[in-house]
Amino acid sequence: MLAYIVRRLAYGAMVVFGVLFFLFVVFFWVATPDDIARRALGEKAPAIAIEQWKENHGYDRPLWPWESFDNNMLFAHYKSMLTFDFGRSDADDVPILEKIAGGVGPSLALTVPMFVLGLVASVLLSLIVAVFRDTYVDRMGIVLCVFGMSVSILLYIVGAQYLIAKLLRWFPISGFDPSPDVVLRFLALPIIVGLVSSIGSNVRFYRTVFLEEVHRDFVRTARAKGAGEARIMIHHVLRNAMIPILTQIVIAIPFLFTGSLVLESFFGIPGLGALSVEAIQGNDFATLRTMVFVGSLLFVVAQVVTDVSYSLADPRVRLE
Amino acid sequence: MTLVVRRLFSLSGSLSVFAVLAVLMSCSNNPYSEKDDDVNVLYTVYSEAPKTLDPAVSYNVTSHSIIGPINETLVEYHYLKRPYELMPGLAKEVPKPNVLGDGRVSYTFALREGVIFQNDPSFELGGAGKRTRKVVADDYVFEFMRVADPGVNSPVIHIFSKIEGFHDFGVRLLELRKDPAFKAMPVREQYQKAGPIEGLRAPDDYTFEVVLTAPYPQLIFWFAMPFTTAVPWEAVQYYDGNDGRPRFADHPVGLGPYRMTHYDKQFRIVLERNENWYGALHPEWKAPGAVYPGEGEEGDREKGYQSDELAGRQLPFIDRIEFRREKEAVPKFNKFLQGYYDKSGITKESFDKVIQGNDLSPEMASMGVSLDRVVQLSVSYIGFNMVDALVGTSAGDRGRKLRQAMSLAVDADEYIELFLNGRGVPAQSVLPPGIFGNDPEYKNEFRAVDLERARRLLVEGGYPNGIDPATDQPLKLRFDTAATSATQLITIRYLVDSWRKLGLDVEVKSTTYNKFQEKVDNRVHQIFQWGWVADYPDPENFLFLLTAAMADKHGPNSANFRNAEFDALFAEMKSRPDGDMRRSIIEEMLGILEQERPWIELVNPVSYVLFHEWVNHYKPPGFEISTLKYQGIDSTRRGELRREWNVPVMWPVYVLLVIAIAIIAPGVLSLIRERQ
Repeated sequence: MLAYIVRRLAYGAMVVFGVLFFLFVVFFWVATPDDIARRALGEKAPAIAIEQWKENHGYDRPLWPWESFDNNMLFAHYKSMLTFDFGRSDADDVPILEKIAGGVGPSLALTVPMFVLGLVASVLLSLIVAVFRDTYVDRMGIVLCVFGMSVSILLYIVGAQYLIAKLLRWFPISGFDPSPDVVLRFLALPIIVGLVSSIGSNVRFYRTVFLEEVHRDFVRTARAKGAGEARIMIHHVLRNAMIPILTQIVIAIPFLFTGSLVLESFFGIPGLGALSVEAIQGNDFATLRTMVFVGSLLFVVAQVVTDVSYSLADPRVRLE
Repeated sequence: MTLVVRRLFSLSGSLSVFAVLAVLMSCSNNPYSEKDDDVNVLYTVYSEAPKTLDPAVSYNVTSHSIIGPINETLVEYHYLKRPYELMPGLAKEVPKPNVLGDGRVSYTFALREGVIFQNDPSFELGGAGKRTRKVVADDYVFEFMRVADPGVNSPVIHIFSKIEGFHDFGVRLLELRKDPAFKAMPVREQYQKAGPIEGLRAPDDYTFEVVLTAPYPQLIFWFAMPFTTAVPWEAVQYYDGNDGRPRFADHPVGLGPYRMTHYDKQFRIVLERNENWYGALHPEWKAPGAVYPGEGEEGDREKGYQSDELAGRQLPFIDRIEFRREKEAVPKFNKFLQGYYDKSGITKESFDKVIQGNDLSPEMASMGVSLDRVVQLSVSYIGFNMVDALVGTSAGDRGRKLRQAMSLAVDADEYIELFLNGRGVPAQSVLPPGIFGNDPEYKNEFRAVDLERARRLLVEGGYPNGIDPATDQPLKLRFDTAATSATQLITIRYLVDSWRKLGLDVEVKSTTYNKFQEKVDNRVHQIFQWGWVADYPDPENFLFLLTAAMADKHGPNSANFRNAEFDALFAEMKSRPDGDMRRSIIEEMLGILEQERPWIELVNPVSYVLFHEWVNHYKPPGFEISTLKYQGIDSTRRGELRREWNVPVMWPVYVLLVIAIAIIAPGVLSLIRERQ
């Protein structure tokens, strides 16, 4: 198993290496160091200030190794990422680690409840529709799921802000404040939107998984032995459906840390998703590359953890 | 494994129930803690997190709105008078330029004695237990040295280049910093060793003198901006970002009516009264910047900006300023309607709901909302790249007539109605209303729609009916833009359609902002749309945009207009005081622009400011200056109205519960029956 993990991590390292190269090429294809400097200093900054900023931030060097082998931006980019020396943001000179540390809290405050509640609600609802399979509850559930999946998250956001926040006045329309007496108010609406927008596809997925298990021999045997429907569903069906559920869970974990790009941006939650969006909008290459690097690292590690968790969940799975 | 999974699900289930209960219990749309309901706080917004609060560097609206009340300046703008007028701030008087024998000019500021900085731990560097100290002329010299320091990256370094020795100081610093030992020294010591700057003098603690190598009358306006405030060297040295200390860029230490007490730039910034402010320590001075003004412009009394009761009252009126981050316009406006923000602009989507006819809608009026309109000191324009072979100077008279014809086809009134909800006035010249030299009676002969004359000009220019004789097809032109959204592009389509009426075929080339900027830098753009917002209320700050000196790469003369006569007049105009002579030079300059048409002047935007009935004596300025210390809030009235407007509507919860039971119950019953 160790050899398998090492091999997967080596593949992962190559993926991360490639991602960093791709990011560098794409970023400097659409932006120049002058653009980065101009965004940092403001539109009215004179040429002299822009040139000086580039010099102070190392953007006065050539981009490629064939222009200057020992002093180019591509090698410097790899060096700073691979040594985990993320440096300072191009936009405001704040250390990037400080920015990430500041964004992790709001991101997790949004994504963890959304993830846990979403998981519990999806599994419960899909167990219910699986129990009521081929009845009107099942059919109505499927219709609602397909409807839920078909609606854009942007519509959910605008609709929830208008209906729940503006008309019904249950929660603030947007914003964030970590003070304990108000933080829940700010998180409630984005969590509800996140839940509603994702529950349709999740319920459909888990329902399919459960229905596959429901028709297995061991379920028939359990039923023949007189086990109750609830016991069958939770002890037999749910347990044997763990592999796909685990895959969903472990793959989702990196995205808990990287935050929700859309929800954070629209609800003004200062998490890592919003940080990435702002880095793109603000030509902040230093922050963007760090977020992409951290995201790809987490994803690679999560893939390996998923494989390992298979073998723990199901002894029949061997990693070779 | 089964046990672990069961426990995990059980834990998740419990957490979910807890979370749902917690959410139900937190049901309120109030974004603030209830204990702040009746506190004397002003709630305002910012959309983009400030990049820096270092007064030497920050150069945008958000940063200046935050550091303005912290970093008070030597001179400042009168709150009520229009046209804008400078008055003494931390200086005892607004200095007059003193022309020295050799062509140099000096300004001498007499500083107020007894002014001290806000309390801050950084002052321990000057002596154990110290929490503040008096403000002296050296603090201004230090700040100017920071602006001159290339390592600080001040965007206004070029503005002060006329200060004697200013540039050389930066060069010396860079040279000395090649030595690592020098670079490791505290910045104040570096400045002492690289200094002095000959043109910055502090003959005693309360006299600050600036010497310029050549006249620059507009320099005085920069002393009303945070770049030139006093900065304590202790704060710059102490807040270095190490050992858990923030950077100076995130921790301003100033001397204004407010100090920063909370800074999380991503969502909340708080300012509170500075108990060390000179206005609070020395109310007996009745300094102009420390008391509410007794005089203003016509109409101020009617609008409640001016009264006998207010005149001479000690500032500031508000205890705390809360800046909350709002990225999106719609939620921001809705929170204003709910009473959670005190002031607001009007979103395009809500305009018809807010304004009916030319006034507030009955709904807004019934809420006690007031409206004020103010013409911004800014201009938006369509520019021609004057180095372009078709539309530029090299096309000679043909190009000029083409530009004139195109100018005659653009209907600014219609543009304002269609795209700005009427929030603007058609611009007749480079100078917006409120700037010296703007003549309200002046009508630009090429800024009133006249298609017949435009067609005649095209004939004279060799493009009859817009046909290019070289191709026998409509003349092909290009509008370069960074606009990509449908709403932005539709405004450009409108312009293109206006020119199509003359037979011209203008193609819209839309790219990313970066690519567009690259085109402008490389001077390969052709027609474009841009704008300018004033730094200070002087015609020089607009007319310089079309001088040859500003046509360099990254320079603001994106039209690349070069006209020797215009440049000579500009040099003459900028050194003259306001008066008939200056006015006549400006008229001549505007005459050149009228005929040459490097710009089609489009709009001087008018900002519509809404404010609730609890906001007192707030007079919106036409450009970015700090006025927070003059504003007042009736927090008791605000608390009452907020509570009245924001009672949660709970009946849908019960309806949803009934629907859920109605759906599930028959299924459960049928299951039970089946099992029986």
